[in-house]
Amino acid sequence: MEIINITWVQLALGFLIMLLPAWILWRYRTGLNTKLLTSSLRMVLQLVFVGYYLEYLFKFDNPWVNAAWILVMVVVADYATLDRSELKRKPSVLLPVFAATFLGIVIVDLFFLEFVIKLSSFLEAQYTIPITGMVLGNCLRSNVIGINAFYYSLDEHKERYQFYLASGAAKSEALAPFISLALQKSANPTLATMATIGLVSLPGMMTGQILGGNSPLIAIKYQIMIMVAIFSGTVLSVFLGIYFTNRFVFKDTDMLDESILKK
Amino acid sequence: MINSSYITFQKISFGFNGKEILHDFNLEIMKDKHTVLEGESGSGKSTILKSLLGFLTPNKGSIIVDGQQLHPQKVRQKTAWLPQDLNLGDGSVREVMKRPFSFKVNQSKKDLDFAGSLESLGVPADHLEKKFRDLSTGQRQRVGVAICYLLDKPLLLLDEPTAALDRASKQKVADLLLDQKRTIISTSHDPFWVDLADNVIAL
Repeated sequence: MEIINITWVQLALGFLIMLLPAWILWRYRTGLNTKLLTSSLRMVLQLVFVGYYLEYLFKFDNPWVNAAWILVMVVVADYATLDRSELKRKPSVLLPVFAATFLGIVIVDLFFLEFVIKLSSFLEAQYTIPITGMVLGNCLRSNVIGINAFYYSLDEHKERYQFYLASGAAKSEALAPFISLALQKSANPTLATMATIGLVSLPGMMTGQILGGNSPLIAIKYQIMIMVAIFSGTVLSVFLGIYFTNRFVFKDTDMLDESILKK
Repeated sequence: MINSSYITFQKISFGFNGKEILHDFNLEIMKDKHTVLEGESGSGKSTILKSLLGFLTPNKGSIIVDGQQLHPQKVRQKTAWLPQDLNLGDGSVREVMKRPFSFKVNQSKKDLDFAGSLESLGVPADHLEKKFRDLSTGQRQRVGVAICYLLDKPLLLLDEPTAALDRASKQKVADLLLDQKRTIISTSHDPFWVDLADNVIAL
């Protein structure tokens, strides 16, 4: 089954539908029209750049280049996590979050790509780049939720943490309820998606595969696999993010170095 | 008589936001005695307890415990602390009371009578199944007192232990905790509690 190509003219034509929401936003003075324009421009420019870059990446298909691209994606995700979180961009936070996201991605990628799917060549671009991108995008969202939940609940309920320490808890024991809360908050959105997937909406990867001419049965298998990868990757990266940062953001007295918080 | 004291604060200075609340402060705490730090709000009473636990670090001076420089992690293994406003999260009273006994250092403590200790403080045993956050301030404080009692540590640090309690409840707290077999440092400006001290330090 051949996929119908969209010409650049057709794509431009597709933007005409945006005039309707743009008019509604303007009519009710939401002040969002400038943002709509800049966001649309950014979307087009970024995706055109990525499209051309991926064309080259797929043609070249070198594991080292693919690995380097993953590294770039993780670095960007690392900065984006801290920009959207309530933590300052300090090396004591930036490096551990990077290590956690990178390790989470490497474990999930190697497991699914090399052990489950068994790619014909190591880190084959056609599979590695989109799957890593999907897992990483979700890791970014979960890291922001999980890391914020952990450090802010710890700061807000400082006396509870101190009460545990004063009752003889080791630092890891006193932090356990805060880690539990962060894991709950960050894992819940993915669990909710898993519970309603296919009923409420058709997920992106599956839709893409069907549009690309694949059988829906192949598409659902990939979708199930990607959901397992996303869930595993997000929980791993949130846990490792907290575990690694914990080693650098506490004083000798087990008190949190509050200078890492943006408050 | 610095050598005979169990805990010594030597020339401690503390300041927050550019304002010094303690300057060259000295304090000696005798073993197995009840010392009350008496003073108005903001006089540094809670700061002294928190500095002994390593939660706050003095700008100047040193704290000696049992002849050695303060090692907060070591001190915490021997303490039970009752903060002024106890918030132990969303669980039931039973759950929040059990948690400190899940810590490695406290796991040897068995046969804990949660219901009995609460009842001796005037909190009905069926409150064990209530949400901790639904209790009144005074009830939460008494849950904290019960945990401190059951932890049975040699050093007890009590921050305003009677602040939210009526006369009868204050007496029950005193009966449970002031048994002369441990070192107690408490902060208070309640005459009832101050009268029960072996030693009163005015701040």
